[in-house]
Amino acid sequence: MLRFFAFLSLFFLVLTPDVRAQSAAASGRVTLSGYLKDAANGEALVGATIVVKSLSVGATANEYGFYSLTLPKGTYTVTYTFLGYEPQNVTLTLSENLTRSVRLATQGVQTGEVVVTGKKPDENVKSTEMGTTRLDMKTVKLVPALLGEVDVIRSIQLLPGISTVGEGASGFNVRGGGVDQNLILLDEAPIYNASHLFGLFSTFNPDAVKDIKLVKGGIPAQYGGRLSSLLDVRMKEGNTQRLGVSGGVGLIMSRLAVEAPIVKDKGSFIVAGRRSYGDLFLKLVPDQKDNQAYFYDLSAKANYTLGEKDRVYVSGYLGRDVFAFGKAFKNTLGNRTGTVRWNHVFNSRLFANATALVSKYDYGLGVPEGNQSFEWKSNIVNYSLKADFNYYRTPQSTLNFGASAIYYTFLPGRVTPLSSTSIFRPIALDEQQAVEYGAYIDNEQTFSPRLSAQYGLRLSMFDFLGGGTVYDYEGPNGRQKTPVNPQQYSKGQLIKRYPNLEPRASLRYVLTDNSSLKASYNRMVQYIHLVSNTTASSPLDVWTPSTNNIKPEHADQVAVGYFRNLKDNAYEASVEVFGKRMDNQIDYINGANTLLNKNLEAELLYGTGRAYGAEFYLKKNEGKLTGWVSYTLSRSERKIDGINNNEWYVNKYDKTHYLSVVGIYSLSERWTVSSTFSYSTGIATTFPDSRYVYQGLVIPNVNGDVRNNYRVPAYHRLDLAATREGKIDPAKRWHSSWTFSVYNAYARRNPYSIYFRQNEDNPAKTEAVRLSVFGSVLPSVSYNFNF
Amino acid sequence: MNRIAAFLLAACLLPLTGCLDVVDVDIPEGRPLLAVDGEITDQPGPYYVTLTKTAPYFDEAELPRVTGAVLTLTDSEGHSETLRETSPGRYATSTLQGKIGNQYVLTIRAEGEEYRAETEIRRTPEIDSIRAEFRAKSPTDDEGYYILYYGKETPGVGDYYRFKVYHNGQLLNRPGDLIVTNDEMVDGNYINGVELTDEEGSGGIPFKKGDKVRVEALSLPRDYFYFLNEMVTQINNVGLFSTPPANVRTNVRNVQPGSDKAAVGYFAGHTLRADSLVIE
Repeated sequence: MLRFFAFLSLFFLVLTPDVRAQSAAASGRVTLSGYLKDAANGEALVGATIVVKSLSVGATANEYGFYSLTLPKGTYTVTYTFLGYEPQNVTLTLSENLTRSVRLATQGVQTGEVVVTGKKPDENVKSTEMGTTRLDMKTVKLVPALLGEVDVIRSIQLLPGISTVGEGASGFNVRGGGVDQNLILLDEAPIYNASHLFGLFSTFNPDAVKDIKLVKGGIPAQYGGRLSSLLDVRMKEGNTQRLGVSGGVGLIMSRLAVEAPIVKDKGSFIVAGRRSYGDLFLKLVPDQKDNQAYFYDLSAKANYTLGEKDRVYVSGYLGRDVFAFGKAFKNTLGNRTGTVRWNHVFNSRLFANATALVSKYDYGLGVPEGNQSFEWKSNIVNYSLKADFNYYRTPQSTLNFGASAIYYTFLPGRVTPLSSTSIFRPIALDEQQAVEYGAYIDNEQTFSPRLSAQYGLRLSMFDFLGGGTVYDYEGPNGRQKTPVNPQQYSKGQLIKRYPNLEPRASLRYVLTDNSSLKASYNRMVQYIHLVSNTTASSPLDVWTPSTNNIKPEHADQVAVGYFRNLKDNAYEASVEVFGKRMDNQIDYINGANTLLNKNLEAELLYGTGRAYGAEFYLKKNEGKLTGWVSYTLSRSERKIDGINNNEWYVNKYDKTHYLSVVGIYSLSERWTVSSTFSYSTGIATTFPDSRYVYQGLVIPNVNGDVRNNYRVPAYHRLDLAATREGKIDPAKRWHSSWTFSVYNAYARRNPYSIYFRQNEDNPAKTEAVRLSVFGSVLPSVSYNFNF
Repeated sequence: MNRIAAFLLAACLLPLTGCLDVVDVDIPEGRPLLAVDGEITDQPGPYYVTLTKTAPYFDEAELPRVTGAVLTLTDSEGHSETLRETSPGRYATSTLQGKIGNQYVLTIRAEGEEYRAETEIRRTPEIDSIRAEFRAKSPTDDEGYYILYYGKETPGVGDYYRFKVYHNGQLLNRPGDLIVTNDEMVDGNYINGVELTDEEGSGGIPFKKGDKVRVEALSLPRDYFYFLNEMVTQINNVGLFSTPPANVRTNVRNVQPGSDKAAVGYFAGHTLRADSLVIE
């Protein structure tokens, strides 16, 4: 922890000369700063812009809606804009620093048009960000959803470069990376398993989510710890103006969210919950009444303004899945997070946020009673402290810097018998501990109206700590290794330290008024790894730290893109090409046992990975018909000592082709219809080429022990939805809508996997069997309301 | 227990709308490899080794037998004998007696190649009893007779077991009937009635009064346990959390200099304890 504060003070030292310079420069220049908010509910407008046209300078509001713009003294017309909101022009005479918070009103809905993004119209072209997508919740809610349940993670899978190993698989894969290579943050707290019901639904309650940002390349230095992407989910702050209630009833679950001011304009809160009710139907079936299968989640957040300069946010999340089969089996799992944040405006040009958070994912399973009773627990917990600063040096330069420390504990597995007659004995794998430090500095610099850049450096370090016993492992790669050289460590003792430097840079060069070229490079380091030997990651998978044997994963990614907007920003188009090289990638020996294994590392293999591809994206932002087409052509491969004869093989995330088409059409003021079509190459898998019989059972075998030599057939699916809004009556606050949707409209049996078995009736006969998660059309209806 | 978990996770989603169906898959025909299926136990011989060749996966014909091979079995006490071919591809011992604590090496000379397989016979616990228990229908059990195992597990982690159940003289031998386990979680404890069967009995014919049941408990070498465990995974590999298909290990190594022709299958040593009952 001392080191953490050392980092902090280092940054203050770097900063000090500039702070002094500011007061010295005060003679000529003044700063306009403040917050940008939604007029109706007081929510911060993340990414809203302020522009002074006469000087061609501007600024963007940060994650908390704060903006700062330093200008020469004078009188200016200042324009505040945010897509979907009425712009505001204000004439201001600046003779000294001025704080001015502005509320923008949403544009009338009378046009019947749907606004697809919450960003400025030409941001696609003008910002230095690339490989970045913001999804607006309004859009997410209009896209057809599985069983009518709006889903954040399913929606981002419609974007270029983002895929999944199969429907019902939890998580997502970005540019050929694994599901554990995505940093998923909910109000800055990492989420270690982002799904309910084994992957069918994501953990995020759409009613509580305000903003979703996915970064798959050119990741800013502020973020680290995962190789492939950042999914930044920000919760709503709660209405600061009035009580608001929203909710919905669907086939699978119901939702309710309440938000209200604590003190009007000073503070507000939101509480949102969901619960599935499949188990209530189970109760109606006599021999199912003791079985349980449900999930719920609760999201809550409150904020309070302590003065002009300080604001505090407290947010929390609790999600739980419960499955029980009478007294024979019980399984519960879920995430919980808590975040406290404190925004402080040191002065009109220096904004700071300090965060303290805790996040935990745990599961338990077992048999509650009888002679086979036991309870098996596993978890990952992290406590983390961080501080982030935005220093608006000049209109051309914003410095971002900060530091963080994350303390982890991992409980890989502990089994406890629950009765004295149980046949089981207590077993506990060593609890593991680690600390991950990070410090970064990053500059957003405009060199000329054409050329701007964001570049920075992240310094990260990981300490794997005792106690417990660690081993070295000996033996040939590809077979289970033997633990040797046991070494005892006391609790908190340093076992292994990994420091790393992570340079990041993005460049933008404006070609014409509506087109630009961008390039980015980033080096990412990942210190914790999800150990998963199944096709789709399972909720029982265990996270492991980097250890004396498991090395941190590194990735170097280069991307180049061409961005162009057409017809006055009505269309945006982009082509991005990326190449990525990863090392210390983890794979498994054949037949690896990854659960409750104290010599897990004996089953792991390491090697390099490479991924490359091209992403094409065309989006229509305005008009009655909106939507997008996204197509990705890519390859993701691995070369691991001990697998596939040490030669490159395509990994299970590899999708040669991945296409999504999304259309949203506004039929009338009240009716909106939408449709999505997805196509992707089938996942790579290993098929046998021969069989043998051992003690009467047929075993498949493949010559040469090759890996992923085949692909399951391609995946494609069409979904449809129609939303009917209730009558819009300005006199009434009650508003409701019905959503009808059809998932898998042409009832394709998309193969999730293909496996091989002997025929049940005739063991001499062998067959290939296709498993489809959804074998038919899934219609649904849901009702939503708010007041 | 991993299997229970995996099964549970896999099973509870599929009833939603999921489905399984047989599909046509075009796969090439792999080159034939030697397949070994043999064992030695601590019970009186003869012991048998069957040699066949792998065949294309969808080929329904019986596997080709490997005849005329020379098999030699040697134990760690220095006994050695050459097996007799009693029927095409089936080879038997005459004199050698398997014994707990001994190691065994089988060498196979067949079709110009030489292979070698090593195994051992490990310690074993004794069976106290087996019982048949009638259970009424419950949320987790269907009505019927369940076969339960009772006995003390040997103290000291590192014991591995297979259980075989015979129903009226017929081995329950569908892919789901292969039961292998280890003592990691139960080391040294009294196994106080653990189900070896579900209510289904043999091929879906339930156990009923008057049925004869025989249970064999096998104590296995560690590597053989992994072989059987991998086999369980590969022949029951269905569900959302199935593992990617992969070859099952073997202890048959080609020792012919310069040859890369692999073999499959297993030559295993194990103990055998048995108990039987008639359901009343």
